Amino acid sequence: MNNADDLSVREQAARELLARYVRVVDDPDRVEEWPDLFADQAEYRVVTRENLEAGLPISVVCDDTKDRIMDRVTVIREFWGAGGRLEDRHYNQVRPRHVVGPVWTEPQEDGTVRVVANFVVWGTPTTDPAPRLLALGEYRDVVEFTARGPRFRSKWVVLDTPVLQDVFVYPL
Amino acid sequence: MASVLPRTVQGPPVPLRWPPEDNRIPREIFTDPDLFRWEMDAVFTGPVWVLVGHEAEIPQPGDYKTLSVGAVPVIVVRGADGQVRVLVNACAHRGARVVEGPRGNVLKGGFRCIYHMWTYAPDGSLLGVSLPDDFPVEFRKEDYGLPRARVALYKGLIFASFHEQTPPLEEYLAELTQGMDRVLGDGRLRYLGSIKVIFRTNWKLYVENIYDGYHVTALHTGFQVVRLRSHGGQRLVPNYERNGHLWGQSRSTRREELQPVLRDMSLFDVRTKPTTDHNMMVVFPSGVVTDYFDTIQLRYVLPLAVDQTLIEFTFFARADDPEDVVRHRVRQGPAVLGPAGAITLEDAAALERVQQSSVARGDNVILKGTPKRFPPYRHVDEAPIRHFYQAYRRLIGVPVEEGTP
Ligand code: FES
Ligand SMILES: [Fe+2]
Repeated sequence: MNNADDLSVREQAARELLARYVRVVDDPDRVEEWPDLFADQAEYRVVTRENLEAGLPISVVCDDTKDRIMDRVTVIREFWGAGGRLEDRHYNQVRPRHVVGPVWTEPQEDGTVRVVANFVVWGTPTTDPAPRLLALGEYRDVVEFTARGPRFRSKWVVLDTPVLQDVFVYPL
Repeated sequence: MASVLPRTVQGPPVPLRWPPEDNRIPREIFTDPDLFRWEMDAVFTGPVWVLVGHEAEIPQPGDYKTLSVGAVPVIVVRGADGQVRVLVNACAHRGARVVEGPRGNVLKGGFRCIYHMWTYAPDGSLLGVSLPDDFPVEFRKEDYGLPRARVALYKGLIFASFHEQTPPLEEYLAELTQGMDRVLGDGRLRYLGSIKVIFRTNWKLYVENIYDGYHVTALHTGFQVVRLRSHGGQRLVPNYERNGHLWGQSRSTRREELQPVLRDMSLFDVRTKPTTDHNMMVVFPSGVVTDYFDTIQLRYVLPLAVDQTLIEFTFFARADDPEDVVRHRVRQGPAVLGPAGAITLEDAAALERVQQSSVARGDNVILKGTPKRFPPYRHVDEAPIRHFYQAYRRLIGVPVEEGTP
């Protein structure tokens, strides 16, 4: 395989990882699969463009280790999810739907691939008549190639809206 | 009532039903748009001090930020002289919003209105207008500054009032100053950033939720999962005869004794305080000040509509914190007390449900702790909510009858 082929294979693999990510975060029943989409040393951050551009360190979500990424599942299922009792969940049932694209990929010298993609997340509540805009912005990701296959080394979710339109239960 | 702003409505919408028992809250007050309009005047521009920021958010001369006091858009700005002022963010000419961004610095150039290029100094005075020929001869720039609110500071906290008869700040806060001393220390803080989120609920439901100690164990399941409990504590209502603030105090289980359910338990760490005592305070009507765990947080409650409230969560470190402590605060704050926090999101869900069903009419009832008539209450009581509504009723002109507390 020549170098150009290798580059396009990596870019394709990074795109496929993103597609898999979207399938997982769109499905409230699959949140347990979400941490495995990250490398062993990884970060997941949700930040507003406003704080980012002002150089302010506060994030909406600051899962800066794999441990914290795994803890998010526990928080969703146990803390907010009342130990998994569907009828007692302490959040509103809103089914997320990610619309992602276009996707830009940029292979890096160190073998990783930088992925940037626009996204919109809609939430469809079970009770309300209308869907809600949950989030709007861009992903800024770094995908690395581990023994387990392509995984996110970092995923930055940069929100365009300085005001969050709702609270988020599931990962963005 | 004297106010520096003209009022649009002259009294509460009639008829406003209010049950005689002070533990019953009529649900109409969460859905009536006329009442909402009246509250913006009678409560937010009434004789109250509204929390609008901390000095650490605007440390340099010319630094400013924008938010609102009830329905009035304001600019909180540090002048070239170092003094903090609160200006109405509406041009004195034909009313355009003068400042667009959330934050910035105005030292160079002043605030310039885009519509006809009137320019204001950081203190709100009108510096210049474009093409003033053919203006009436009596036009004087001194008459056209941006209206200013009264401003008072306590430990760096910035309060604004649009009412001439608001008592001095420390009298208004009463014993709440002691809680602020505990949280703010010498008042020197470093601003770390804020998170703003829309809650689909009436502003009063958001605020009363903080007075409510009853929901804490029931709703915030995370506390049960890690076996975090309150080892004593109380709910005080400073100045309940008049404005009814909240000062909730609790001592929580030490991290070493918690169930290590999370891989990273630093969420529940207390590294910067000698004990695990927390303070959760509401400055009536709409300011929140807390030092939960190691998180120093202010919240500004901004009513958008009768059923929508913007909450701005702002986070701080102490001015002389070493970098590793700052980093810990940055990791902990939003993870606990923010829109994606382990113990905040449930409130949004519960309050949205209360809001949605308020159209059902009838009364919400406050029970736990109510056999006691006056503070202090137990930490788990919801009784303090009564005092919030008593203060509220005095302002909107539906006072509680004499003889009932
Ligand atoms: S409205 Fe501002 S200059 Fe005319
Ligand atoms: Fe709560």
